[in-house]
Amino acid sequence: MALSLRERTQAHEDAFKATGCLFGLETLVCKETDPGGYEAVWHILSNLCNAAWAVGCKVSSSPIAAEGGDALWGLHTATGEAICISRGISAHAGLLSDMIKNFIALGYEDNPGFKPGDIFENNDPHYGGIHSPDFDMCMPLFYDGELIAWASCVSHVSDAGSVTPGSIGFLNPDCYSDGLAISMERVGEGNRFYPWYELRIRSRTRTPDFVMGDARGRLAGCLTIRDRLEEVIEKYGLDFITDASKEYIEDSRRYAVGRVKTQTVPGRVRKSQFKDLAMKGKRVLLAKQDLDCAFNLPMELTINADASVDLSLQGASGTVPFGENISPTALKSGLMMGYSHIVGFDMFNSGPISAWNVEMPPAGSWANPFEKNYEAASGVAWAPAVTWVSNLYEVFGRLFQMRGFVEEMAAGAGTIMTAEFSGINQTGMYLTGLTLEQASQGSPARGYSDGENSAWCIYTPEADFGNAEISELYYPILFLGRNVAPNSGGYGQFRGGLGHTAVWMVYNTPGLEYQCGDAGMRSKMVANHGMYGAYPVVPDRPAYGHKTNVKQLIEEQKPLIHGRGDPESPLIASLIEAEVVEDNAIAPFVTPEPLQDYDIIVHPIAGAQAMGDPITRDVASVERDLNEGWTTTRVASEIHGVVADKPNGAFVVDSAATDAKRSEIRAARKARAVPFKDWWLEEREKVKAEENMDPAILTMWSTCMEFSPKYGEELLAFWALPEDFTFSG
Amino acid sequence: MAEFDKADIEKLIDGVLPWPATQDMLKSPKDTDRFDKYVEIMQARVDFKDPILLPLTPMLFIVAADGERVVKCRCGHSFGDYRANWKLSSLIHVRDDEASISEIYRGREMPDPAWVQIREYICGGCGSQLEVEAVPRGCPPDFDFLPDLDTFYGEWLGRPLPDTFSFEDKTLEKIAEWSS
Repeated sequence: MALSLRERTQAHEDAFKATGCLFGLETLVCKETDPGGYEAVWHILSNLCNAAWAVGCKVSSSPIAAEGGDALWGLHTATGEAICISRGISAHAGLLSDMIKNFIALGYEDNPGFKPGDIFENNDPHYGGIHSPDFDMCMPLFYDGELIAWASCVSHVSDAGSVTPGSIGFLNPDCYSDGLAISMERVGEGNRFYPWYELRIRSRTRTPDFVMGDARGRLAGCLTIRDRLEEVIEKYGLDFITDASKEYIEDSRRYAVGRVKTQTVPGRVRKSQFKDLAMKGKRVLLAKQDLDCAFNLPMELTINADASVDLSLQGASGTVPFGENISPTALKSGLMMGYSHIVGFDMFNSGPISAWNVEMPPAGSWANPFEKNYEAASGVAWAPAVTWVSNLYEVFGRLFQMRGFVEEMAAGAGTIMTAEFSGINQTGMYLTGLTLEQASQGSPARGYSDGENSAWCIYTPEADFGNAEISELYYPILFLGRNVAPNSGGYGQFRGGLGHTAVWMVYNTPGLEYQCGDAGMRSKMVANHGMYGAYPVVPDRPAYGHKTNVKQLIEEQKPLIHGRGDPESPLIASLIEAEVVEDNAIAPFVTPEPLQDYDIIVHPIAGAQAMGDPITRDVASVERDLNEGWTTTRVASEIHGVVADKPNGAFVVDSAATDAKRSEIRAARKARAVPFKDWWLEEREKVKAEENMDPAILTMWSTCMEFSPKYGEELLAFWALPEDFTFSG
Repeated sequence: MAEFDKADIEKLIDGVLPWPATQDMLKSPKDTDRFDKYVEIMQARVDFKDPILLPLTPMLFIVAADGERVVKCRCGHSFGDYRANWKLSSLIHVRDDEASISEIYRGREMPDPAWVQIREYICGGCGSQLEVEAVPRGCPPDFDFLPDLDTFYGEWLGRPLPDTFSFEDKTLEKIAEWSS
């Protein structure tokens, strides 16, 4: 009698424990006996997933999928391991895999059973989903009556019916406000959705046509995988496809382990990371939300002698009464994405992460909320997670440097701040949804060059902010500017790629709400540290003007606003007159009242982390940045120590004066800096007295110490504070 | 297996290797002698003779010196035993108020000093800015990397070092000395 899927899963786990190889595959038979076929089928299966992406995005309705490609399709083994995935939001590969495994673990094979044409979905964080707008789907695939694989998909819908419109539910106070929950359900049979699935979408989401359109897009992509897979099986045979599929996963594990061993160094890495969420005094939903929050997002990573990797989040701070809490399953999926980008990218599947031992994050923390706070909201669960994953890029960049693989080095990400609109558009249709601006940030500095401008996004390799005209088609806005933001990539020998500024004018609407959302933004803090002595990326500070004189400016053909301007004199303050001008807003927020025609929004998108001492930056690069308008004379002079003047309309660097200035900066640094011990003695008194520490920071430390006692002990030991010391937060 | 000239690796480090050659390095199977070539390059660029065991950062190196393993800056300034966070032996300048932070971030780019301080770790020898941390008050400095050097040389490179050192974090020992 054939083993059940649950029994096969257990057998795989036992074989891995016994042999150290996934599925017990100590020999890769297909690869060794038919290397050409092995390689060819890999590319065929990858292309099959990419075909699903192309079909699925075209069938989808929302601009998020149709224009931005913010979706993903995957092919899995019968027991759920991801074999390969499409282009798109690769952060979800692990999560889709875990969803299929979860259906098997919950006994769905017996009840309701798996049969051809079944459609299963989940978006519920309590069962491993990331946040409700990310609808995760899977379909069992059969051949000759046997379940031989799964097709999967996720797409990010424009609205999932949470308490506030849109898909970035940072304001959600609890899980009950996160919106429509599909909790590990069969939502269709015979390749069709149940009628009541659509009724539920229609009654409980604000943009049902888009949400159902995206559901059909997911289904179309999965059916594409099904049909193409049948063709591949007909050509290569079922045995070869199923055997090779397992080998791709084990092969990928070996690749990642081999890469760790040949390109990194064993030892212990520690990287701190912090994030703010300042909501006190702003428009919130419940009284308990009238507070500021801070996140501790620490990463400790140990590379062992056998090149396996242990990962700990000891010290993670407590849950917040907003949507920024994430399930451990979803967090691990994000980690898998980051790791696959950095280390295991030869074949992107479930293999690389299997060599990791991920310690369960502290119960009650943002990274494992439900054990202690079942009601925690996850409206935008990825906000702390992507910020934390940024560490992974930097720490592996550091490890690659140690082995001399400078070409592989990267610094970390910047911040992710979203823009969502909700209201009636120019065609009279109600719309809510995400613009795609944040999906095209600056890329991190590399070990040998600056990052690239507006060309990268940490949560997807599909970095694309879409066509402005498409955004204008959906939303009642007009772009007045979309331009590179100077000084937005940190300051270092190599700077991060620069971010950009979107300037929108609200137009042709009776009223539009602007949600400046948190998907990993930082507004009180700078983003990340510097790497190797660079200065971090600037905080996110959006701006808007309400009830403006822009209509009059247009009629009089006077200058309009097209960018941010100087941080000390922003253009919105100097060019626009308005009843409300918020020129230095602390994100995130929702506008207190709907914006109206001719109102202005200035929405910044971050660059990425820099690396290296800023006074070692190549002077020619500074000169170029000055002439391109990518840096300013103040930063060039005071931070990079570059002296330049503009004799004939273009900046020219004075090399001798620059050398002298840089020597002065070195001397000044030594003169003002103090021995660490002297600072430590003074600082510990300030820590003890909680001097100039925001209440949010005190609460953060307090919860870290409560949920991770060992982390707390080490923190107290570092400051030589008594064992019973606690922060007042 | 690919091999790359030391000259090309030097150009890569200096950011002047042409893009096609850089792409070649990115796409080719990795060269197995890269670590040794990199260490040779770095050894020629530092102002000390002690052999480099590990380039910790492009500016800091764990070196074998007089029977010890210590962290040294390119200029030769020593930060002591590699098993204690070198930052504790560094100079530090902390920006934790608006006046000092505004020397870097101005106007609408200014972070809030009650949420974050900017810590600059400066070499006492050459004045290089070795690391910058942006952390809230109370955060211990990151001990970015504590290598297991003996496993690295003995098991991964297959050429054990002549002596062995325990793989342990000695940072708190230093703190204990200061607070006693």
